[in-house]
Amino acid sequence: MELRGLPAAPGVATGPAWRYRHTDVRGTPLPDVRAAADRASAELLSLADRVRALGRNDEAEIFDAQAMMAVDPMLLDEADARVASIGTADPDALAAAVEAVARAVAETLAALPDEVLAARAADVRDVGSRIARIVAGREIALPDRPSIAIADDLPPSVTAELPPGALLGIALERGSPVSHAAILARGLGIPAVVAIGGLLASVDAAERDRERAGGDGTPGPLIVGLDGESGTLVLGPSAEQLDALERRQQRRRAQGAIARELRGRPGMTADGIAVPLLANIGRPEEAARALEAGAEGVGLFRTEFLFIGRSDAPSEDEQVAAYAAVLRAFGRDRPVVIRLADIGGDKPLPYLHQAVEDNPFLGVRGLRLCYEDRSLIRTQVRAIARAGAAAGAVPHLMAPMVSTFEDVTMLREIVAEALASLDGAGEARADQLVVGIMIEVPSAALCAAELAAEVDFFSVGSNDLTQYVLAMDRTNPRLAAVADALHPAVLRAIRATVEGADARGIPVAVCGELAADPLGAAVLVGLGVDELSMDAGALDEVRLMLSRVTVPALRELASAALAARSAAEVRASAGALVARDAPAGGR
Amino acid sequence: MSTAIEVDIRNPSGLHARPAAVFVKAASGFRAAVRVANVTTGSADVNAKSILAVLSLGASSGHRIRLSADGDDEDEAARFLAEIVAAGLGEASAKDAAGSETAACDPAT
Repeated sequence: MELRGLPAAPGVATGPAWRYRHTDVRGTPLPDVRAAADRASAELLSLADRVRALGRNDEAEIFDAQAMMAVDPMLLDEADARVASIGTADPDALAAAVEAVARAVAETLAALPDEVLAARAADVRDVGSRIARIVAGREIALPDRPSIAIADDLPPSVTAELPPGALLGIALERGSPVSHAAILARGLGIPAVVAIGGLLASVDAAERDRERAGGDGTPGPLIVGLDGESGTLVLGPSAEQLDALERRQQRRRAQGAIARELRGRPGMTADGIAVPLLANIGRPEEAARALEAGAEGVGLFRTEFLFIGRSDAPSEDEQVAAYAAVLRAFGRDRPVVIRLADIGGDKPLPYLHQAVEDNPFLGVRGLRLCYEDRSLIRTQVRAIARAGAAAGAVPHLMAPMVSTFEDVTMLREIVAEALASLDGAGEARADQLVVGIMIEVPSAALCAAELAAEVDFFSVGSNDLTQYVLAMDRTNPRLAAVADALHPAVLRAIRATVEGADARGIPVAVCGELAADPLGAAVLVGLGVDELSMDAGALDEVRLMLSRVTVPALRELASAALAARSAAEVRASAGALVARDAPAGGR
Repeated sequence: MSTAIEVDIRNPSGLHARPAAVFVKAASGFRAAVRVANVTTGSADVNAKSILAVLSLGASSGHRIRLSADGDDEDEAARFLAEIVAAGLGEASAKDAAGSETAACDPAT
């Protein structure tokens, strides 16, 4: 039986299912909430050290913060008050009281409008459970052999606490790819699938079937196969399914080793043509991960994080700090492309006073905000120019949602206004700004040559371009399978973009998900795209793919793709080329 | 008697995550009782030595907070905490970004 969820950490695993429950084993209770909190805090600090020793500083901070929460005066005062009111020293009652207090605090955080703070709610609940476990003397029943964890949700503190190698994979009924559980799984290299609807009920049923079929002897544990790339979990896989998963696991290991060796080298085809590989980032903190993965720059620095989830616009100084941090991290030789705020009516901001739109994806968004008021974007351009001076780098800026020639004229005016106002005020600024536009609207792709005369570079946003070319909402799950960026119509739009850029000698990058898919990357380079920008996690695989193919082979692939009738035909020919160049025995 | 100071939060991520932990650890180092309120959202004032209470203020960059301290070292506590908030709580602030490094950067760029 195969269950579907969301891929949360890459990799493949097969092995026995281990049900995570924390009520199985009884130890010695510690009916003193404050003493239990101290012990919980010490345990969390040692988890932080352990994760830090693996070089995962960001993940270690989750546990540092939890260690502070465990001995938080507000939490403990409320727990004391609750314990006093129930007037009992029964460990189970005390444990229940601590958990209830932690849940109440977690709900306060979960109710805040800020999604980062809301994510902390799960951390607080986890701290409450840990203290309660110590008070009641409950212990987690550890798996007796390396296993795949099956749970409703698995707190990161439990994942980190298990001995290394004990967890082959993680399958969760709840959770999301951005939860701490998923982040830690990726950090530790444990494949994970989350948000698997009906997981626990299906596993219960499969285990019951095994017991019934087992007859006299005790049946072994249920075997499961987990695929952290496609987001699937197979319960009781057949011999063929197991075999296929194990082969993929081996191939992944071999490829991982080769890909790691290539790290630090620039993206290059087998015949020596450089294809710079850059990272997409959404916050300054992600710069370190991108550098570690060998990014040759940032091809897309999304700046929405500065603008959303707040009641007023970010100040110019605050923006300067954020942009300069990333420019500094990448230094002078690795470009950083800062995208102007891509904001629209789908996520209205309280301080923009936007009118309600029937069709926000076709409405006033991205650069179109400047049709009504240029001040927000002008401030952003000023901040980018100042950040360039602060970091001693040449910033690249890029405008989203450009659809007409007038848009480009307006962009140039805004940049000129911003620079003139800085000079007027005597503010230090970068001497030079490299100004580009995103190509994500069909009209911009079709008129690329005219637009190319006015800007320094193009960057194709393949996600939006796909949705606009195919007229398919990419957030609609019923269209997800057909809204394929490898559709020949999307590729023809990209080809038109490249031809327009070539006429004026400006470079073309692609910064959508298509660039992160090795098949997509192969087709894009064949189409004449100069640079690829993607999530840092995809760099290894794309770098490896490029190292095995030649530009003439990619051009041939691109010609076939442009002439194809469907995305499926494109995928078939790209798959054949990319697989043919894989090492022997690696299928 | 007690001392109260208002200060604007300037660091990009506000009183979240690491900056909040820096703030709470600093507050915990004083004998005085220290309380903090989010003036921008009109929150109640809470114990500044509690990470959970401080997070619950939802204090973002650009918000104004009020610090009040009561006890032996109240003046020093309020002044010191206001200073570290203004300095960005260890997170890169706009001032750092535009400050000394500008002078240090190569004139050729």
